[in-house]
Amino acid sequence: MELIKSAFSAVKRIFKYDARFKFSVITLTCLVAFAILSLFSPHDPRSSYYAPINHPPSLKYPFGTNGRGQDLFWLLTHALKNSLIFSLEVALLSRVVAIIIGITAGYKGGLLDQFLVLLCDSFIILPLLPILIFLKLIMRTMTFPTLAIILAMFGWPWDARLIRSQILSLRERTFTYSAVFSGRGLWSMIFSDYLPHILPIVLATTVNNMLWSLGFEITFSILGLTPLDVPTMGTITYWAIQQQALVMGKWWWIAFPMIFLIFLFVALYFLFVSITDFIDPRARILKRG
Amino acid sequence: MWKNFLKYLVGRLLVCLVVIFIGTTITFLIPRIIPGANPAEVAVRRLQMAGTYLPPESAERMRQALLKLYGLEGTIFEQYIRYWREFLRGNLGPSFASFPTPVLVLISRSIPWTVGLLALTTVISWLVGTILGGIAGYKNRGLWMKIFEVFSNAVRPIPYYILALLLLILFAYVLKWFPTGGAYRIGMNPSFTWSYISSVIKHGFLPALSLILIGVGGWFLNMRNLVSNVSHEDFVVFASHMNLKEDIVFRSYVMKGALPPQITGLALQLGMIFNGTIITEIVFNYPGLGMLIYTAIMQADFNLVMGITLFSIIAVAVATFLIDLTLPLVDPRIQYTGK
Amino acid sequence: MLSFLAVFTAFAQEALPGIPRNEVIIIEDPSGRSLNPGRFNIWGGGVTSWSTGLQQLCLASLWYIDPDQGIEGDPWINLLAAEPPIYSDNYKKMTVKLRKGIYWSDGVPFTADDVVFTVQTLKANPAMTWGAYMEVNVDKVYKTDDYTVVFELKKPNGRFHSIFTVRWAACYIMPKHIFEKVKDPIAFDFNPPVGTGPYVLKAYDPNGYWFLWELRSDWERSDLGVAFKTKPGPKYVLYKGVASPEKKVMDQMAHELDIIHDLPPEGAITLAQTNPYCVTWFDGWPWAHPDPTLPSIIMNHERYPYNLKEVRWALTLAIDIVQVVLQSYNGCATISPIHIPPTGKYPEWYFDKIEGWLKNFTIKVGNKEFKPYDPEIPQKIANAVKYAFGYKVPDDPNVLKKMIGYGWWKYAPDVAEELLKSVGFTKKGGKWYLPDGKPWKINILCEAATRSVMTRAAVAIAEQWRKFGIDAQIEAVEPSMLWQRMNYGEDPDTVYWAWCIETWGGHPDLFWFLESWHSEYYRPTGQAVVAKNPMRYKSERIDKVIEELRKTDFFKEINKLIDLGIEYVKICVEDMPIIPLFSYNVFTVCDGYYWTGYPTAKDPYTNPVPNWANTRFMFIKLKPTGRK
Repeated sequence: MELIKSAFSAVKRIFKYDARFKFSVITLTCLVAFAILSLFSPHDPRSSYYAPINHPPSLKYPFGTNGRGQDLFWLLTHALKNSLIFSLEVALLSRVVAIIIGITAGYKGGLLDQFLVLLCDSFIILPLLPILIFLKLIMRTMTFPTLAIILAMFGWPWDARLIRSQILSLRERTFTYSAVFSGRGLWSMIFSDYLPHILPIVLATTVNNMLWSLGFEITFSILGLTPLDVPTMGTITYWAIQQQALVMGKWWWIAFPMIFLIFLFVALYFLFVSITDFIDPRARILKRG
Repeated sequence: MWKNFLKYLVGRLLVCLVVIFIGTTITFLIPRIIPGANPAEVAVRRLQMAGTYLPPESAERMRQALLKLYGLEGTIFEQYIRYWREFLRGNLGPSFASFPTPVLVLISRSIPWTVGLLALTTVISWLVGTILGGIAGYKNRGLWMKIFEVFSNAVRPIPYYILALLLLILFAYVLKWFPTGGAYRIGMNPSFTWSYISSVIKHGFLPALSLILIGVGGWFLNMRNLVSNVSHEDFVVFASHMNLKEDIVFRSYVMKGALPPQITGLALQLGMIFNGTIITEIVFNYPGLGMLIYTAIMQADFNLVMGITLFSIIAVAVATFLIDLTLPLVDPRIQYTGK
Repeated sequence: MLSFLAVFTAFAQEALPGIPRNEVIIIEDPSGRSLNPGRFNIWGGGVTSWSTGLQQLCLASLWYIDPDQGIEGDPWINLLAAEPPIYSDNYKKMTVKLRKGIYWSDGVPFTADDVVFTVQTLKANPAMTWGAYMEVNVDKVYKTDDYTVVFELKKPNGRFHSIFTVRWAACYIMPKHIFEKVKDPIAFDFNPPVGTGPYVLKAYDPNGYWFLWELRSDWERSDLGVAFKTKPGPKYVLYKGVASPEKKVMDQMAHELDIIHDLPPEGAITLAQTNPYCVTWFDGWPWAHPDPTLPSIIMNHERYPYNLKEVRWALTLAIDIVQVVLQSYNGCATISPIHIPPTGKYPEWYFDKIEGWLKNFTIKVGNKEFKPYDPEIPQKIANAVKYAFGYKVPDDPNVLKKMIGYGWWKYAPDVAEELLKSVGFTKKGGKWYLPDGKPWKINILCEAATRSVMTRAAVAIAEQWRKFGIDAQIEAVEPSMLWQRMNYGEDPDTVYWAWCIETWGGHPDLFWFLESWHSEYYRPTGQAVVAKNPMRYKSERIDKVIEELRKTDFFKEINKLIDLGIEYVKICVEDMPIIPLFSYNVFTVCDGYYWTGYPTAKDPYTNPVPNWANTRFMFIKLKPTGRK
């Protein structure tokens, strides 16, 4: 309860003083609202050719239409929603695994550490794209939720290693010794003492992970290996490339998805940067002063 | 102290070897598990797909003959043993799709391009991202840094295919500063002359630029966070209170503390360059391992897939081994013993 | 955007050092990057791309059947042979008279020794590309003089010559004087290649992206030179692999690429509309060249419910072909209601003859009769295209027939409903259920990135079936995956969007693909299908047609061949074993800036699709325009 109240007042403070935080919160809220708008879409996201083909943005079609006769505005609401859900799924799942393994390996050390590092490395070593293609060949149908789970399974090793190396250096520090000597339990120490140190890394790796999974989804879609009639940022890009949007000058088909993606990630970046700065008391003071 | 180090070294080495072994076995098994993906069948099918006249009886006969030729008889276990035997002799086997050209020959043609391009771009984007990220994390300097911050993160989510194409259109077709594709000029033969080398540089510039643009943001983000994390550590605060010059504080204390994870990342990334970048190869007509491995998978060319993946596995394993060995040297707080 | 680009890209650069641009023709090699470029031994296998110029400019075979009219007006062309093959009455012996005066590119004369050696080597090595065929069919091969070869066959086979007749490729002749010195004919790389064609390999990219060929100084002693006595126009030919379609368009706009193999419709149409020197098969809509291949919806007859004729017909009637054509090809397709590709001379041989029958064809639905054929569809497509895209379409219905096809099956979902209900299907809440109560799901397996037209068509069909009430979706996979899964037929609830019907184009004989539909080649699900019958269709009437075809002479009894073909068409229309949609149209786009003389619909002397071996004949018709 205390934790929540202090977190809430912290958020209020950052919002007031940090312009970047303001920007990112507003942008992210708008994007999420846009994604929620998909629930009100008048068109079935998988249907096509209900609108005139390749029309530039206009009053009736604010983002224009694409070569498959779909209204880009409503299509993007679905695409954004699907892609957000997808990358969040991957990020959350792999964060959980990465944090648990990273902390355990870093703190416990010894044989457990060696074993976990071995596990990590075995995963890191496998080249992802070929394995994904193989799995797709074996499994025949690859739906997006399945792809998310598989990517999550490959997304944690790198970050686990990063977290582990951070923990390794934290462990040898004085405040750890004092905490251990004073009999603090492991997990409470992790939460109150380590967390501010590993939180920035976790956040940074979350942004990277979201970008990475989105990039993979796009690459996979461009190669035509995902369900192509479900709208996501990746499949929209696939169709835009397939129907030669760049060559034909139908810039809106590519520009709008890209603009959304750019805003999303710049907002995420600012969000995490401002949170990180907030956690660092010195920087906070510098900012205000 | 040295005894500890030795124990650690041997332990890590064993881990490295075990990891390579596991990775190789998995890569060996997976293509053979896919039902019906059999190089002999693929060869026959390729002929049929191309519209060659292959009436039923002949197709059967050909399939049988090819199986024998490729040496795919025996159980998976027998093939596995045979594989290790040949591997230890340095023979990675013949490629099936390009039978009987040895896998090593095929790989050796593409490796210099992939390694050259990716090693260079990885190091450059790492340097740029790390240095600038360090500065940004420590001091949050002025306008240019802010612009770079936003720019490097805005570029990252652009789908790589589109970014590469846009660069190509702008610099090769419109401005005509760079050639439109290939690794070097058509008609040239590889040699150590300046004209060849300059041709390679000219042709490699755009692919490299596209890779660096997309890679820089990640390193920047990571380093910035690491630095801002370290810079409020006790020893840094202490050093700055001692009125040490800021540069020195920055370089000897902050960077040294923040570098280990970045170096880890760099080593891992370098290990992974053997995966190639297939989209770069498609857009810029650049030779490399990406296209090679992709086609190999599609054609059930087991040996070729195995060969390329092996390079990748060994590279990454060696990279992680080296990281674990050298990190404690850089950051004195990391000990060799686990407790 | 493109006019902006056009201004900047109008200036050409020198393509290769030392070679003026107007002496070289640059052609796209659709296989992209050749992964093993130093190997030219096509017989030994392991050559991933034959279209690097190897089969178009260098190696040759005895006969060619052109998918279009043929360079001298006859689709049948004798190249290394001097005349068509002579069969003995029992079809167990084939005699070939070779053309005299041809020399290999290294100066050695081409004789019967080369042919005999080729066949004997192949026969001894069944793992070689045509080895299995020779081993299965040839008993003895020998020469009776330097220019006559006799084949004695193991069993009567009136179509043995097909192996030496180029449709896309064929069994090429090896140079004996090179291969006889080689210990292992499979391992030998055959680098540099030596052929009878008018060009020799000058240089190639060790990374496999380009191959440069130069005209022989003794071109008049090459096969084309001896046969047609004309000097090929281009002095150099460069085959380039370009993977990205955007690049192909931009390269051609800059006049750095003379022939593009295939483009998505948008790219081709954009080029046609912005490049004033652009040359396409049809001048204007529909632009593309129809290949003699017939993409169809193929279903495995061993899987319920596709064994039911009613179900297959219902699925046909639930497809709105106008929409499919619009969405996949932007309206530039050539449709076919029957199981024969509507290309080359087939309209004249088959389509004209069967039109009347089709118009009267009736299916019984319950106690009602329904005529499913709709000859108005070409007009509907033309109107839709005019409305949606604004292309100029001809008014004359006969011209329309030649361009888009004769007609197709009506879009009649209500009749489809009745058909389904008559075999026990039920419809609840707008969704279809199988007679056993399970919802009807269909997964359309189609090709992915490489052939976007096919993906688009599959998406369109899935959408229409969904509208009809079937839970349909697509699954796009790599082409080799698609073929493999189709051949094994093990996927549940799946239909395949691919092709199995491929014909000569320039000859009415259907045996090429039809032979494998005979029940003696039948393979059940789970075993790979041998050739062209992945739907595992079994029909006694078809068996009879095939047996009759076997006995019909390829050359002398053309009318009987056609009659048997018509019989086949009628049987298939009734049974609808697979659903044929349209021919595989290729958007081959040529640039008339440096070269002229390309084949077009107005002058169909061969097909322009650059990876076909018959494009060989294009080179003697190409002439430089003189621009620098």
